[in-house]
Amino acid sequence: MKNSSLLWLVIFLLAGGYLIFRTSHGDMGISYVKVTTISPEKSNVQWTQYSKASKKEAGEENVQFSWSRTIGLWVAALSTLAIFSFLYGDNVFYKISESVFIGASAGYAMAVGFWDGIVNLLLRNLTPGLMRESIIPSIPKENHADWFFIIPLILGVAMLARLLPKGGWIARWPLAFFIGATAGFRLVVFFHADFIIQIQSTILPLIVFTDGSFDWQTSLKNITIIIGVLSCLVYFFFSVEHTGIIRPISRLGIWFLMITFGAGFGYTVMGRIALLAARLEFLFSDWLWLIDVE
Amino acid sequence: MKRTVPLIICSLTGFILIISWFLPAAESWGEKVTHWFDIVAAFAFVLGGANLLKIHLQKISNRRIGWGYSAVTLTAFLVTLLAGLFKINVNPSMNYPAYSWSGNYLDEGGLLWWIYEYLFVPLSATLFAMLAFYITSAAFRAFRAKNIEASILLFTAFLILLGRTYAGSLITSGLPDSLAFLRFENLTIIIMSVFNLAGSRAITIGIALGVVTTSLKLLLAVDRSYLGSD
Amino acid sequence: MVQHSIIKSCCKSVVVIATLLLLITEGYSAEPSPVEKKTSIQPAKNITIKDYPGDLGTSLIIEWELSEDDQNDPKKSFVIAYEVYRKTEKTEYKFLSQVTYQKNFYRDQECEPDKKYWYQVIAIGKNNLQSIPLESLNPGIPILQWFDSRRGWIGILMLFSCSLVVYFIWIARKGKKLKIRKIAGLDAVEEAVGRATEMGSSCLFVPGILDVNDIQTIAGITILSHVAEVTAEYETDMIVPTCRSLVMTMAREAVETAYLSAGKPDAYNEDDIYYLTDEQFGYVAGIQGTMVRDKPAACFYMGAFYAESLLLAETGNSIGAIQIAGTAMPSQLPFFVAACDYTLIGEELFAASAYLSGEPDQLGSLKGQDYGKLLCAALIIIGCTFATLSSLANHYQWGTGMESSFSSIQTYVSENILGEKGFRP
Repeated sequence: MKNSSLLWLVIFLLAGGYLIFRTSHGDMGISYVKVTTISPEKSNVQWTQYSKASKKEAGEENVQFSWSRTIGLWVAALSTLAIFSFLYGDNVFYKISESVFIGASAGYAMAVGFWDGIVNLLLRNLTPGLMRESIIPSIPKENHADWFFIIPLILGVAMLARLLPKGGWIARWPLAFFIGATAGFRLVVFFHADFIIQIQSTILPLIVFTDGSFDWQTSLKNITIIIGVLSCLVYFFFSVEHTGIIRPISRLGIWFLMITFGAGFGYTVMGRIALLAARLEFLFSDWLWLIDVE
Repeated sequence: MKRTVPLIICSLTGFILIISWFLPAAESWGEKVTHWFDIVAAFAFVLGGANLLKIHLQKISNRRIGWGYSAVTLTAFLVTLLAGLFKINVNPSMNYPAYSWSGNYLDEGGLLWWIYEYLFVPLSATLFAMLAFYITSAAFRAFRAKNIEASILLFTAFLILLGRTYAGSLITSGLPDSLAFLRFENLTIIIMSVFNLAGSRAITIGIALGVVTTSLKLLLAVDRSYLGSD
Repeated sequence: MVQHSIIKSCCKSVVVIATLLLLITEGYSAEPSPVEKKTSIQPAKNITIKDYPGDLGTSLIIEWELSEDDQNDPKKSFVIAYEVYRKTEKTEYKFLSQVTYQKNFYRDQECEPDKKYWYQVIAIGKNNLQSIPLESLNPGIPILQWFDSRRGWIGILMLFSCSLVVYFIWIARKGKKLKIRKIAGLDAVEEAVGRATEMGSSCLFVPGILDVNDIQTIAGITILSHVAEVTAEYETDMIVPTCRSLVMTMAREAVETAYLSAGKPDAYNEDDIYYLTDEQFGYVAGIQGTMVRDKPAACFYMGAFYAESLLLAETGNSIGAIQIAGTAMPSQLPFFVAACDYTLIGEELFAASAYLSGEPDQLGSLKGQDYGKLLCAALIIIGCTFATLSSLANHYQWGTGMESSFSSIQTYVSENILGEKGFRP
């Protein structure tokens, strides 16, 4: 056995032993729930509702140990460690977590797409009566079918023609519809918000007076902004070679862009560290009960 | 026919939506099309799901390397999908207890909720948290600044990082008021409100022009690569 | 005797001190403040009703001058709010809405076109006092506008910009040769694919994580078709994991066409373009796994990305792949620039398809884009010039005529041509 494999085996055994020891003593990784019986008024139906309870509430009436949430907590913690293990290298634990993640997230997206897209958008508008009687009883009685929603139904079905061996070309029609819609809609929206309004915001006086005297700071700021915007635009020119007078202006533009990217980079670092801190807090607080135990 | 009709559909739709933006009566058409897209995207899930099943089932049946992981993927996929579609273990809504399907698919206690809470969220958050390590390694690579541009990027990132921390304020707290603008926290403000603003604005303007041009090429059928062949 | 005088002077002192104290503390007694003493409140003045521009005739704007008791300082202001009431030809005044003090307008969005509406505004003060109502003598009539005149100038500028693009496409089609500067990242595409071929490895193309209703995704897929042509020529495998089912569909069409154009239809394998998952981090976890196991020699990231951009780029670095990225997400550009070998910055992503195709009409569109930037620069320079002249004229008092001219031009450029007013005065 390789030295590294032996070392990992020892680490796993020690860690596993530690976890078993603490769990067997009830010192970590346990979830509690508060049990409530729900009996809505004017109804014969009743069910049990489980909501999260803290460790301090354990022992109170209606608070009990929850197998499903405890297993869930351990699954979450071990998956977290498995993903972090990728930093060392690809391994079987990461591969399993990755596979589960891909499958579960794909299934989740499809379930959400079905309920939010097909049921709540399409069927709710096409057949409000049927939906009111079955799945969405909150639909007001005065809602009537909106027959415009036949169009996305037809487009959706046409999309599925892709599965047919010779019907694939029909699927181009809904694609073309949405690409055209995207192109048209985004053209005006981007032109207005990202072109016109940006130009409007860039119109600044180069010489500013405040309280009757020359305000050199604001003037310098405005001049810098305008020079920055114009030089960056020169950098983005495609049909002109960056030679002659264009070269130094373009160079200045790329320096402004590098400052922009550096600023964006530096601004994000602390946020990313905070994300790591949040995951470590989950492991040390929610799972291992080593800090901030509630 | 197989290309001509889609091209006509694309152009017509696009130009109608452009004109609709200027007409108050038709202004909301763009939003309506967005809702329609959500519906068609939901239909398209069938294509994605079918592809997912096909790829992984083929891998399992051919016993290719890693077929076990494909089995795990498919199991997770089917369990989650069924849990969501059939609202397994989801209680009815409090306001409509007689309707067993009235509960939200993500209500606490349901199977989909469990998968979301104990698999989806932790795995997403952990991958997100990995960025802390990757951003550090990216920064270390950038430390080997080979040219002026990389040096400017590095230096600015360093200034902004320090300016957003307590340590940065402490280092330059001794500067006199006449040089207060050189304090890290003030330098951060100057960089963000002047240089970063100028660069971001130019990038945004360029993107807008790029979007306009790309959109026009699509609507005028100059660019047809998305359509495929005849 | 002396004792008596001392006692007397002490008593006098006490009286004086007490009087002084009384006088001093009078300011701290519970006497009502000037604001609290008021028993009536001044009404708002000069109510006007205007049609809200550019709508379906469902809105009216009610404006008024603030009451004299309405002050900026909340301690001095006696008015706390204004109540707006509305009546029609068939109904009496009904409460509509309340706006806070210092606000002198309200937009009524529940009107019907061509119907008459009268409004009254009542100033509400502290101590539940109300002013007499300020009533509009003439009704307001909302009008349905077929054309939103506020967007008139935007329409003109958009038409002009689009015309430039169309003109240069037309010129290019007529045979005029257009020069385009080198874009390093795009010149490196063939080099990257060649490297993958030499190493016997594959290429990886990631078209972003958004759906086909995002223009960056469409731009990414048009680039994919060009890269696919190169990989077809070099007979190199290209894997395209997608985040959306529709993107997978579109990508398959594009790649199939590319292989057909390259004369290698048999080399096309639709299973190389597959759907992973819709979820952002599930998608990137899958791609990370693919990169680490299959070790593609060239990685292309073209489209819309969010936080996963750095995950992808750093994983690519760890396997030693050559990486070419392009995105129009400004927040992700720093990470691609720091971690990738070549990065297409914003607009360059949209120019890539034209650049790679080399087709004259596509290159013509790039020229049109450049003229759009010239238009932008011209507007900025004109606007800044008049803003500066206005500032100078105002400071040095060049004369009322000059001051107002420069100021008017600058205001018209900012608020009408580039702003919300459009064709409206």
